[in-house]
Amino acid sequence: MTPNAQAPVADPPARVPAPSVPASSIPSVTVAQMAEVDRLAISEFGVTLLQMMEQAGSHLAEVVRLELGGDLRDRFVVVAVGPGNNGAGGLAAARHLLNRGAWVRVVLARPALRMSEAGRHQLATLIAMNASCCVATFDLSDDELIDVLGRADLIVDALLGYNASGAPGDEVGRLVGLIGDSGRPVVSLDVPTGLNPDTGAAANPAIVAIATVTLALPKIGLLGPEASSKTGRLYLADIGLPASLYARLGLDIGPLFGPGRILQLDGTR
Amino acid sequence: MTHDGYQRSLSEKLGLLSELALFEGLSDADIEAIGHATTMTHCKRGQQILAPDDPPDRIHIIKKGRVRVYRLGADGKQLTLDIYEKGTILGDMSMLGQDRIPEAYAEALDDGVICTITPDELRKLIERFPLIGVNIIGHLSRRLQSAEQALEAMAYRRVDQRLARRLLDLAARFGMAAPGGTVIEARLTQQELAEMVGTTRETLAHTLGDLRRDGLLDMDKHRVLIRDAERLAELADG
Repeated sequence: MTPNAQAPVADPPARVPAPSVPASSIPSVTVAQMAEVDRLAISEFGVTLLQMMEQAGSHLAEVVRLELGGDLRDRFVVVAVGPGNNGAGGLAAARHLLNRGAWVRVVLARPALRMSEAGRHQLATLIAMNASCCVATFDLSDDELIDVLGRADLIVDALLGYNASGAPGDEVGRLVGLIGDSGRPVVSLDVPTGLNPDTGAAANPAIVAIATVTLALPKIGLLGPEASSKTGRLYLADIGLPASLYARLGLDIGPLFGPGRILQLDGTR
Repeated sequence: MTHDGYQRSLSEKLGLLSELALFEGLSDADIEAIGHATTMTHCKRGQQILAPDDPPDRIHIIKKGRVRVYRLGADGKQLTLDIYEKGTILGDMSMLGQDRIPEAYAEALDDGVICTITPDELRKLIERFPLIGVNIIGHLSRRLQSAEQALEAMAYRRVDQRLARRLLDLAARFGMAAPGGTVIEARLTQQELAEMVGTTRETLAHTLGDLRRDGLLDMDKHRVLIRDAERLAELADG
């Protein structure tokens, strides 16, 4: 399900803007706080991982549409997927991208059965849809992988999420390197892979994104001066968590997503 | 890239151990005799070992080398499902409660050796070495028991209770005496442990933190030290 191998890669048309708010008007969270948000959501408020993931995937696909100039039809998007729940969110986005008319190639960093439970769940749906899915090291030669990445109108980075630490290793690190070499525009899910969400320091290798869709609340490291060259435009996406949950952590968010469920954070770039 | 980069999930590690226990208690000479009584195939890298239309009811035990299991997409392209190593049993045999992954192909990633057993051969082996039959009964009853316990735990138990029970089970299988308690000698990621307990990594990390603060256990990156097995058991049963 990829377009003609010889098709030239066109530069994307101008992106479509999302409602914007000053980053300084929104509370940011550390990795530990975000882990607590996730925990409270699941164990105290009964919001399941798949519920949150569905919204993350849907918003990520929508940001890809904005960044590609407003229409997903016949655009070629490669979704790079890591083994954890960030990757599973990328798989949910792949489904939305396909539903909305994009050509999608899913490239997994690890064999399918090594993914998280939610990842296997998302992948099973994509397989039932006959989506094009493969594993980077085993199902594509290096040349094929370089060719696929090079032809993408846009690459989605759903390799590692806010929980990862240190330099991306093994297959994930190799994919990060090849994505960088491709020179194609990248949109990252939650955090650009390789960027420390607490400090904003970039590991080597790290993804350099044109945009990052961070979920629920911005991670504190994404707002620092060092991070903006890696995150690109920073979007904040609503995953449906109630204000009373944040209040338990002493965070007052108010009707944050009143202007829209995807906000562009100003003052970060 | 080497296979060492992969962390085998714990359920696989456990599966592997119990599957290998098929020949437990047999002498080396017996195991060698079994090797002769079954079909040993030396396969080349890239050689196909399993296909969806293979006759059912035979298992393949990987004796040497790695095997890649994959399926074909509608576009005819391969999707790698997993990489298996020495000791893994592939294929299906209802007698062993072993199911095949649907629509899966398997091929050798390295030059390797595969031991194939049909139900008939297994029956003959059991007649000759009754201990194998005893081992199979043990294997099946453990599987049944743990499946029943897992179902009950999922339905009625809190995360901390499920975790406590799981850690005690792991300690019983992989535990080694260490200063201050019992250390579980299985390199487990928090993701793997979370999946076993049926929760998220975040909830797991939080629950582990609570148990540590209460002095029940200690942990570093991949290992858990059980400090107070008695209180952990009280929690699990509570």
